[in-house]
Amino acid sequence: MMVKVDRLSYNFGAYWALKDISFTLEKGEFLFLTGHSGAGKTTLLRLLYGALPVNRGRASVAGFHLNQLKKRQIPRLRRKVGVVFQDFKILPRRTVFDNVAMALEVRGMPRTHLERRVRAIVRAMGLETRSYSVCERLSGGEQQRVAIARSMVSNPELILADEPTGNLDFDLTMHLMEIFKQFHTYGTSVIMATHSREVLDCVPEARIIHLQDGRIITDGGEAPITGQGREDDE
Amino acid sequence: MIGQFLRLTLRGIADFGLHPVAQLLTLVAVGMVTLLTGLILVGIHNVNLELLKSRGEVEFQVYWKVGTEAEAVIKDWDVIKKINHLKDFKTFTPENALVELAGTLGETGDFSWLADNNPLPYSGLASFAVPPDAQQDGWASKLLTELKALPGVDKVNYTPFQADLAQGWMTMSRVVVWPILVFLGLIISLVVHNTIKLSLLTRMDEVEILSLVGASPSYIRWPLLTGGFIQGMAGSGLGIGLLAAVHSMTADALNFPPFLIEIRFIPFDQLVCLAGGVTLVSMVSSWVAVK
Repeated sequence: MMVKVDRLSYNFGAYWALKDISFTLEKGEFLFLTGHSGAGKTTLLRLLYGALPVNRGRASVAGFHLNQLKKRQIPRLRRKVGVVFQDFKILPRRTVFDNVAMALEVRGMPRTHLERRVRAIVRAMGLETRSYSVCERLSGGEQQRVAIARSMVSNPELILADEPTGNLDFDLTMHLMEIFKQFHTYGTSVIMATHSREVLDCVPEARIIHLQDGRIITDGGEAPITGQGREDDE
Repeated sequence: MIGQFLRLTLRGIADFGLHPVAQLLTLVAVGMVTLLTGLILVGIHNVNLELLKSRGEVEFQVYWKVGTEAEAVIKDWDVIKKINHLKDFKTFTPENALVELAGTLGETGDFSWLADNNPLPYSGLASFAVPPDAQQDGWASKLLTELKALPGVDKVNYTPFQADLAQGWMTMSRVVVWPILVFLGLIISLVVHNTIKLSLLTRMDEVEILSLVGASPSYIRWPLLTGGFIQGMAGSGLGIGLLAAVHSMTADALNFPPFLIEIRFIPFDQLVCLAGGVTLVSMVSSWVAVK
């Protein structure tokens, strides 16, 4: 099992962002988290990659028990989990190559091996001509591809994507979803937060969990959302 | 392991080019703090030197018992002449003392009628100039005890003002100067810490991203620590350089009568402490800034 969440709750002071959430994710499964802004999608993802502590309920990700996760174990968890954000979170003054290579450098991968892997993923993302361009000169779609390349270059067991197409137009959204699907076919588990119908339609076989006010409303089946176009941050 | 350590160190150096303006401003701020601290240290050092100069000079008036044999007194004089740091020693036989007294009093001082029954004892005026490095706690009273212990000596008077000044300065050093230095250290720590922390704000996105891709805390912090070391070294070097320049321009600013004070530069050990302290605070600040 890749992810197991059992009666998970999380509060920011008096505000409960998540209330009694339970679900599991098998290896190789594709899961969409849907819901309006403030539903708890981002909070759930942040808990799953160790950015927030699990205090109430239980959760495990890729073999790490998040309740007992010590600070020094967080880097090891994050080496098994790739994370993609709506706002890319790349270093704008570094090159495409440097940004992607960063995920392998922190693992201490030998330089020759690292260069091979980075070139391969950059090529797969269609960015080979931009390898040594500084990221701040790239378009939004290209920057998001750099972020996806960085999250996938280390062959993570799980990808957590928080509204990854939120800042992109329809064509780019479709293109990026193809990339996610491609990695999913290689066996990578994916949890993607979105409230875009187009994104959901790209992976019809995916499971959908719909969140509302921090609770799971539906698990599986159709998501009760009709959102179109631009996605908002939580 | 060593390769990665070197790579991270080189990255720390190369990262200076990423935010040159922030780095330059930090460098100037650290340099200015070092300069200001250095100026205060120069001030304290020179005040200390001036006080040491005067506090080391003490005069003792030594009186022998009336009727002591001349031979015994001369022996005591020889002992006094061998005491360390004696600057001047004037001796008076009872006859000399009577003449001196008469000379001091002028025309009214005719004591010739006392010549056969002179009540004055053998006496001496010993001036000591004890250099700063030979001064310890209670050095004036030790000298006093040493003089009083001479076999024929009846009593010893000394100028208590100078000894009190010495004692007073030592008390002041303990009560005022050290707290000032500690306070100064605290100010350096706070200013340099906040300056370095502010400069690292420009790199917080990088820290966050490195953390997201699974970088260990040491991997994230080592380049920052390298940067902090370089900032500390370069900033303190800049500050000390400016301090030396200011000193060379003002060394003789008070070197004219009646002051005749040549402003001295701070000693090497204090200079090393200043540079080391600033560098250490820079490094610690870089380390804790990403906590």
